[in-house]
Amino acid sequence: MARSLYNTDLYREKLESVSADVLRNVRINKGFLVWMGILTISLAACLYAYTIQLQKGLGVTGLRDATSWGMYIATFVFFVATSLIGMLISSVLGLSGTKWIKPITRIAEIIAVAFAAVAGLVIISDMGRPDRFPYLFLYGRIQSPILWDVTVVTTYLFVSLMLWFIPLIPDLAISKSRLEGRPGFLIKIYEILSVKWVNHDRQFQIMHQAMRILLILIVPLAFAIHTVTSWLFAVTPRAGWDSTIFGPYFISGAFVSGTAAVIIAMYFFRENYKLQKYLTDFHFEKIGRVLALVSIIYIYFNINEFIVPGYKLKTHEAIHLKELFTGHYAWLFWGVQLAGLVIPVALLLIKRMRKPLPLLLISIVVFAASWFKRYLIVVPVQGHPYLPIQNVPVEWMVYKPTIIETSVTMASMILVLMIITILSKLFPVVPIWEIAEEEATVNEEIEHK
Amino acid sequence: MRSIILILTFLHLVFQSIQGQEWKVPDDKKGRLSTFAFDDNTRMAGQKLYTLNCMSCHGTPGKSNYLNLVPAPGDPATEKIQRNNDGEIFYKISVGRGQMPSFRSVLTSDEVWNIISYLRSFNKLYRQQVKSVISSTAYPGSTINMFIEHISSDTSIVVTAYAEKESSRVPVTEAGIKLYVHRTFGHQVVDEEKVTDKSGRAVFRIPEKMHGDSDGNILVSARFSDEDVFGTSSKDTVLAAGIKTIPVSLVAERAMWNNVRKAPIWILLTYCLGVIVALSFIVLVMVKIRDIYIVGKYLENKASEN
Repeated sequence: MARSLYNTDLYREKLESVSADVLRNVRINKGFLVWMGILTISLAACLYAYTIQLQKGLGVTGLRDATSWGMYIATFVFFVATSLIGMLISSVLGLSGTKWIKPITRIAEIIAVAFAAVAGLVIISDMGRPDRFPYLFLYGRIQSPILWDVTVVTTYLFVSLMLWFIPLIPDLAISKSRLEGRPGFLIKIYEILSVKWVNHDRQFQIMHQAMRILLILIVPLAFAIHTVTSWLFAVTPRAGWDSTIFGPYFISGAFVSGTAAVIIAMYFFRENYKLQKYLTDFHFEKIGRVLALVSIIYIYFNINEFIVPGYKLKTHEAIHLKELFTGHYAWLFWGVQLAGLVIPVALLLIKRMRKPLPLLLISIVVFAASWFKRYLIVVPVQGHPYLPIQNVPVEWMVYKPTIIETSVTMASMILVLMIITILSKLFPVVPIWEIAEEEATVNEEIEHK
Repeated sequence: MRSIILILTFLHLVFQSIQGQEWKVPDDKKGRLSTFAFDDNTRMAGQKLYTLNCMSCHGTPGKSNYLNLVPAPGDPATEKIQRNNDGEIFYKISVGRGQMPSFRSVLTSDEVWNIISYLRSFNKLYRQQVKSVISSTAYPGSTINMFIEHISSDTSIVVTAYAEKESSRVPVTEAGIKLYVHRTFGHQVVDEEKVTDKSGRAVFRIPEKMHGDSDGNILVSARFSDEDVFGTSSKDTVLAAGIKTIPVSLVAERAMWNNVRKAPIWILLTYCLGVIVALSFIVLVMVKIRDIYIVGKYLENKASEN
């Protein structure tokens, strides 16, 4: 029924107004250049730190024999986690027929693509000899979760890219004639990527088929990517990682950081791109509820993850838990659990807190806490090896990230911002045709009544 | 917090007292000497044993690369250890102290002497004293010998000890004998210590599942438990008393820890199936994008024709 809509005047009219609003931001303006310039200079500064690491080896980081996974791996887990939001929004909510997600699906996919793409690079930054990366494919063992991880991260990145691209095709076709004054190369890119889209019903039909396949495929894939990431830890017998619920624990946590990331991006695009008409208070209200829900689920998994070993207090688990609850990491641990989970949930239950600005502030705290949460999952466990080392310098046992390490981590974050900027500035950030379709349908229904 | 400080102080004192304490060897054990002269063969045998049993803590002699423990194990080539006489080193290896384990049941006395022979090769000033008379106080003037045989009918090993003097031969009675099987790491004690009967025989029961080499052979060693009374006579014999064992390499079969060619089938299948399924869906979607293009191209051509 909706398909015949694409030839109505009403639809064309809506298309006109929506595309005017959205395409206003698709341009290479001064702001974009300045922003990309700042990012490029910061990236260059951080990459300089990486060249030092390349020359001198991983010794310039805080990584030592005891703690060999530090900030890099925590960031990797965080990036993979955040990228999972693409699946939650487009697939889980999309397939269940949730309508309000339409204007934010593309934002979610951009976040998925950006974080998944850089996650792979973060792994390379953790390698002392990155030139040996191809060995993973040449001599990799299928038994190793590391190989599974590389496989699923790559596949997930590709499928996320397609999930971003396919609904973009009609928009590219709509936009290419409306891009006067933009650089020629951009119009050329639009021309090529729009794959001869002419708004024909048959094309819509094929696109919907392709989307359905991808939306179903992305669910097991997203679960696989983060479950495998959790297995990098859970298949080892170390106290603190040796857990059977690490898969769901990671996935539920991923939805928290991903939702927070989407909210931050939504707020940014709403204000900067003047999209108040499309990203309304209603959308923030709804996604605020999603954040509350996924946080509550994550709290549940946290309780389970800590109470079960905390009740038994097996020798090595006890050392680890003590370190988290009352020891060296207590401030960070309770800070993350309370400020990053419990208090946000309590606040989100209040309707006023789900307005854009308070929701943004809550999301920023949740997002930052999510990174520290990954740090707490990765680092403290390694401080208590089963075979202790005696009489070694403190810095061999207690991990402390160095400035070089922090700079390289910053580089990965800058890269994420760059990808998000390019994808959101050169292409429509909200789906034009879907919103026009939605608005036209609503208008039609009102007229019928 | 206070209790932690107290415990730490206590531990510190304990360690200090252990470090400070001289390792006293009883006077009657100090004078013990090897019954054989040290030569290249004993030194080489000792080096092998040292690598297996001692190196993990004491490191390579002369390199001071011993393990960082409290108290420090020390480098055996240093003066601190070399100034012990042979009997003292023999006692310390045999008895052990604190973290240093006792090697009495792991190494035979000959093997301990071989190790000492190796350690002494790092000491240029060392001149060996060999115990001149090898005889027992119980059978003065006699040479004590042992004979080991395997009774396959009742799965036992019989050790017969006898003292020979000139042409007469008498059984050694009421002597405690221990029987060992040589293993890759140390010795496996067979049965318990047995005392010889009137005919000088001691019978040892072979435990079930005594693994031998690929021919079922085991190398057994018998020695007197009281070497001061009966001498250090010992006997090494190869017996076909074990189960034929062909060791299977841990990387011979498909296993999780093996290389990718020998990965478990189920994991190969799961991985490949997962990749193929995901890839085929991706290919399907690519074909769909191509279809969109074909439809568009067709409509475009039709439009231009009109």
